[in-house]
Amino acid sequence: MGKLKTPIWESVKISLSSLRANKLRSILTLIGVIIGVTSIITMVSLISGFNKLVADQLATLGSTTFIVEKFGIILSDDDWFDAMKRKDLTLADYQAIAAGCSECEEVAIQKASNRKVKYGREHFSRVPIVGITPNYMKVVALDDIVDKGQGRVITEFENDHRRQVAILGPELVDKFFPMLDPIGKKVRIGGIDFTVVGVPKKRGSFLGDNQDRFAAIPFSVYQKYFSNKLEPWEGLQFYIKAKDYPSMEKAQDQVRAILRARRHVPYHDKDDFGMYTAETLMDLFKKVTTGISFTLVGIVSISLLVGGIVIMNIMLVSVTERTREVGVRKALGARRRSILLQFLIEAVTLAVAGGTAGILLGVLLAKVISWTTPIPAAIEPWSIIAGLLVSTGVGVFFGVFPAAKAARLDPIEALRYE
Amino acid sequence: MLIHIRNLWKTYDMGQAVQVQALRGVDLDIERGEYLAIMGPSGSGKSTLMNLVGCLDTPTEGTYELNGRMVSQLSDDELAYIRNKEIGFVFQTFNLLARATALHNVELPLIYNGTPASERKKKAQQALAAVDLTDRSHHKPNELSGGQRQRVAIARALVNSPSIILADEPTGNLDSATGAEIMQLFDRLSKQGHTIILVTHEHDIAAYAERSVHLRDGKIEKDERRAA
Ligand SMILES: Nc1ncnc2c1ncn2[C@@H]1O[C@H](COP(=O)(O)OP(=O)(O)OP(=O)(O)O)[C@@H](O)[C@H]1O
Ligand SMILES: [Mg+2]
Repeated sequence: MGKLKTPIWESVKISLSSLRANKLRSILTLIGVIIGVTSIITMVSLISGFNKLVADQLATLGSTTFIVEKFGIILSDDDWFDAMKRKDLTLADYQAIAAGCSECEEVAIQKASNRKVKYGREHFSRVPIVGITPNYMKVVALDDIVDKGQGRVITEFENDHRRQVAILGPELVDKFFPMLDPIGKKVRIGGIDFTVVGVPKKRGSFLGDNQDRFAAIPFSVYQKYFSNKLEPWEGLQFYIKAKDYPSMEKAQDQVRAILRARRHVPYHDKDDFGMYTAETLMDLFKKVTTGISFTLVGIVSISLLVGGIVIMNIMLVSVTERTREVGVRKALGARRRSILLQFLIEAVTLAVAGGTAGILLGVLLAKVISWTTPIPAAIEPWSIIAGLLVSTGVGVFFGVFPAAKAARLDPIEALRYE
Repeated sequence: MLIHIRNLWKTYDMGQAVQVQALRGVDLDIERGEYLAIMGPSGSGKSTLMNLVGCLDTPTEGTYELNGRMVSQLSDDELAYIRNKEIGFVFQTFNLLARATALHNVELPLIYNGTPASERKKKAQQALAAVDLTDRSHHKPNELSGGQRQRVAIARALVNSPSIILADEPTGNLDSATGAEIMQLFDRLSKQGHTIILVTHEHDIAAYAERSVHLRDGKIEKDERRAA
């Protein structure tokens, strides 16, 4: 006996025409899938954009630099209370490290607090003021940024002789000297006069932290005027650059040994100070974003599940409504397979249409967020492919049951259905 | 012999040991080109017999040979094949797809046997011409009169050049004038050599046929030929 062959595109045509006949319903059906796929695309874009941004920022710290401070990375309340009891890092610690660490190329100090900055009638209250040893600028690549801006960096001589000079953030400069050359002008920081010697290039903000709103002054000057006991965070932060990447670990070990000895940490106890690198920070950040990703996967799965169930429900309604149609088609020679395909293609088309809309919306949303907020977006091609695959999967998974139900209908009963 | 039926039974199990015997041992032979009416009171098994002849259903017992092929024990897909190639159905309620044009409705059987689109259009147009509906080919069913709808359904039944046209009360939903029109169409098709089996209650409809088979309680009570 011969066999009937129905080309697949005929099934596709049949499915599309019945979707067109129910446009509004088809669109409403898609909302769940659209939300699911939109969240996939948006979130993946934002997280990966964020990761890239953080990586870029941490790259300025460099792979050979590490930071030593009292607190280190605080992950819990217990960490916090422990750290609060620790002794501050002192100038003597700095001198010991500078003298004793053979693998260290630069040991820099940074200390910060907020002060009022004033010029003429204009002022900013609470500007972060950082006291730095001049080599700090080399360690964190601030020297490059000043080179690209105006003026020059703070010199060793100025630090040694407690010259009241400052590098002023571009945001302050824009307000104080909209028309004038800022170099050589005197501004008042915390009630003391400083001469502006350099202005870095604008960097924008990072993680909500405005990087253009600060002033850097020589550490010696900071100690003299601002290091009073009213400041709660008395300790110093050390920015240390190892000779090269291979000597990183050795440099860290040397610093650790020096500090433990000076601070009399018993042999079996943990360090009573924090030490971290760009890599540590990046790892930590990735851990946090991975956590967020998993939560999102949960949300996305739920909305896709709901979207799939809605599709299944609508397909079941559609099969019931069209029972007679199925009967007629069967009477005219449609095989089970043809009927199955007709409804399955309908479900998959619905889901993929939802997926495509979700991708477009997701890309748009990610772009809008990156334009209107400091959060960047990087559209990942794999997330678009994932969006398409996932929506196809949802269509097949939730479409197969209603389609099989239609295909199994008995032709006589279907024809008799009112 | 086109149709050769022996001892055909159809029993419906209604549960709790209740059985409905819709057909109880029917023997029926039909030659190619015959024009036959099946008559009988309501519930006598006419539609059941039609469905079996049309391969929409399988008998509980007995044999059915169509065109020399045993069809009483075929699989689902094989029955679909027979329905597509050998049978043209005309229903009391037309059963056209509401969303599709007359032309597309007529094309349906051809879609399911993979006839290429261009040939399909041509054949469907020819079938519509055979029922005098060329000018209505792009109308949807709700833009057509009852008689026109039934003519579209007849064109659909004809389009695959089937061995038999089966019509279960084709005039049941039409007024008598329109019904007569449809019957004249069947007459014409019969004269052109088509085999036609139709179910009806009405004697004047049955009078169009050359032969009438009377069913009662699932059995053939009377089988008479009109004197030519
Ligand atoms: N699916 C079914 N399940 C149970 N019983 C059925 C089924 N189909 C038909 N019957 C029974 O079989 C018998 C014959 O039904 P059938 O539809 O063949 O009668 P008919 O002669 O076509 O009647 P009518 O002239 O009213 O259309 C009836 O008693 C009917 O109740
Ligand atoms: Mg009947």
